[in-house]
Amino acid sequence: MLILTRRPGERVVIGDEILVTVMGVSGHTVRLGIAAPEGVPIYREEIWLAVKEENRAAAEAGANSLPSTPIQGADAQGNDGPAEES
Amino acid sequence: MPVKFESVRFGTVEVPDEEVLEFPFGLIGLGGLRYAIIDKNPGTGFFWLHSVEDAALALPVVDPHQFFSEFALELYDEDRERTGVENVEAAKLFVTVRATPDPLDVTANLRAPLVIADGKGYQVLNKSENAPLQAPLFELASQTPATASAEPVRAADAA
Repeated sequence: MLILTRRPGERVVIGDEILVTVMGVSGHTVRLGIAAPEGVPIYREEIWLAVKEENRAAAEAGANSLPSTPIQGADAQGNDGPAEES
Repeated sequence: MPVKFESVRFGTVEVPDEEVLEFPFGLIGLGGLRYAIIDKNPGTGFFWLHSVEDAALALPVVDPHQFFSEFALELYDEDRERTGVENVEAAKLFVTVRATPDPLDVTANLRAPLVIADGKGYQVLNKSENAPLQAPLFELASQTPATASAEPVRAADAA
């Protein structure tokens, strides 16, 4: 890992298009400004990790892991489909 | 022209060309650039978001509005710019589902829904405060979100 020391107002450039600016430091908090090309998603790590984990867990489902018959309660809002099993 | 792709779960799958969705940024942490929504569980509200390119990559999804009466998607400005989606009401929404052996443990990710508009799909973050990563699918369907117990679902199953 590359480790750099920067002062408030200084920047790091990643590639030709991503610019990270240290906006300020206050106690244990660092404010960063990030300029990236449109379309490059930027996430806080914790939410990125959490969503990644949900996606991974969802993708583990096997072909038969979902209900094969309409579920009671799922139709609570009056959606089409059989209202009850017989 | 129909598009055919292989699925480790379902064998050869065929969908109309126009139903293939481009995900320019893939799914968060999973990638995948082209997917299709396929209905292998008719009438249940469950669909599969299946990769057209990777036979093993598929996620169960549901329409959040069908299962969560109070669901609302509020986009961050970054996501609005990135996706070009201005009006989420006009878009088709799905949320990924974590399937578990016990249906009462099945959860949906309301925090990172899928927005589908004009043949493109994006996984976005939901700014709405009431959007957990793991929302129980069947508790909330009984419309008593905060204090829901498992009983209504069990009662319905038994009936």
